[in-house]
Amino acid sequence: MNTHKLRKARSLAARHAVLSIWLLICIIPLVTLVLASLKPAGLFMTIPEIFSFSGFSLENYGRAWRQGNFPFFLRNSLIIATASLAVVLVVCTPMAYGITRLGSAKMRNFLVFSILSTRFLPYVVLALPMYLIFRVVGLSGTLFGLVLAHLAMQLPFMVWLMLGFFSGVPIEVEESAIIDGCTPFQTFMLISLPMVLPGLNAAAILAFIISYNEFLFAFFLAGYNAQPLTVGIARFVGGGETAAQYGVIAAYGSMIIIPIVVFALVVNRYIVTGMTQGAVKG
Amino acid sequence: MASQRFFRPWGFILPGIVLGIITLVVPIVMGFRYSLHRIRLYRLSDQVFVGFQNYMRLFDDPLFMMSVRVTFWFTIGCTILAVVFGLAIAAVMSTRGIRGTGAARFYMAFYLVPFVATQVVVGMLGRLYIWEPEYGMINWIIGLLGMDPVGWLISADTALMVTTITNSWRLVPLALLVFYAALATIPDAIVESAEVDGASALTIFFRIKLPMIRFHISFVTLIILTSAFREFDLVYALSGLGPGRSTNVLSMLVYHMGLSTANIGLANAISFIMFGIVAVLAVVYIKAAKLSEMRE
Repeated sequence: MNTHKLRKARSLAARHAVLSIWLLICIIPLVTLVLASLKPAGLFMTIPEIFSFSGFSLENYGRAWRQGNFPFFLRNSLIIATASLAVVLVVCTPMAYGITRLGSAKMRNFLVFSILSTRFLPYVVLALPMYLIFRVVGLSGTLFGLVLAHLAMQLPFMVWLMLGFFSGVPIEVEESAIIDGCTPFQTFMLISLPMVLPGLNAAAILAFIISYNEFLFAFFLAGYNAQPLTVGIARFVGGGETAAQYGVIAAYGSMIIIPIVVFALVVNRYIVTGMTQGAVKG
Repeated sequence: MASQRFFRPWGFILPGIVLGIITLVVPIVMGFRYSLHRIRLYRLSDQVFVGFQNYMRLFDDPLFMMSVRVTFWFTIGCTILAVVFGLAIAAVMSTRGIRGTGAARFYMAFYLVPFVATQVVVGMLGRLYIWEPEYGMINWIIGLLGMDPVGWLISADTALMVTTITNSWRLVPLALLVFYAALATIPDAIVESAEVDGASALTIFFRIKLPMIRFHISFVTLIILTSAFREFDLVYALSGLGPGRSTNVLSMLVYHMGLSTANIGLANAISFIMFGIVAVLAVVYIKAAKLSEMRE
């Protein structure tokens, strides 16, 4: 009896050990970045030096904020991510709802198929022609153009995600709302949308994170004026005068990555919901 | 789903369709058109129709063929690593005693970090602090174990492997999350009855649990496969072209052809070949899995 219990406890401890090691693998790289950013500017440091808890300084942050034009790129990043989030709420959510309520199964399957197949598109396939089209129509280097480009990336994923949530809403509830005199729009806003609220939160949060982190489209299309933080740091690192300032680069990177990671940790429940739902059937 | 449909929902769908046509269909069609022309970036008005010449040229181009090989190994490597690690960790997490506990939720929150971390920053962090040959973390650990430092990203033999591992690190959460959600819903009764029959934990996992989540495994594999195939951000920031162009994946090649050497027609031909590969993959998969009926 006792040996049995002991074996069980040992097994549980071993499993927790495995999971804890993976947890460390997930977060140690970011811890390294943050600790390195907090050291005085200067030469490269060895790992024990980075992890020694002494000699902290915010010097690098001040430099990164000033030299790398951080506030301007931050503003662009936030505008792009917020606009993407808004588009998801205003366009993708009604679209997903409409598709689940389509009468014709053929039409419904065609739309679901189109959405699913565009979801896997390599982004360069879109970004390169967009670069040319935007130059012709005068959208290159504009925030509006970049939001449009992000839409190409968000739309298939977000509609797919919301499809799963809406197909779980019983249609009988909507029918009785219609009988009671609601218009289809009222039914959507007052009955169906509140029932998928967790899904809606998940979609909005994921849309924001994906657009905030996005690099490729911005790199191709943003020029200087619409450049977000991701392109900002890439060009900052490439710039000659900053080439050797590893601490400043670490500070710049930390200022990009830490807010979004902390945000994700706070709302992790919704991200789990969204990612699970986005990858499997509803 | 109820068979009765009581209103015409096109008003909800049309704005999305219009935007989808503008942002997806138009670029794809134009991209194909560009791929049939000879276009130079700095003289866009001067477009010469050349038919499939750009495509023909590619197959004689050693740079392109090398990039195809690099992309192939990168994609396969990322997929295998992400799916295997995701499955292994999900298997441990979904065991009795851990599944559904506060500890599991705690782990999961942090397991998301690689997925939500900004990829360009991850790439730089990898290059400057993790895989860096003199001061990097990996060589420091290797040094503790008494081994000689390795040139990771500066050696053509290891750069692709390192890039593959780093990108897999980012993709594991996707697999892990879905597999955990799927494994956690398998009823205890099924597992217990197998245990009574004397099946070992490994047998139960491979013979009973894996077949039950095969749908999740195949769909996640497709998502990870296509995601690794199109990767640009992380490769650009971590290794760039790589020593001897050893990490020059197709997305990078398109960028360099299109915007650096400014041969737009050729670059579009490459991106269209990528489109073709993904389209074939997705269609074969969707047909096989009858995914079009999944959302019923």
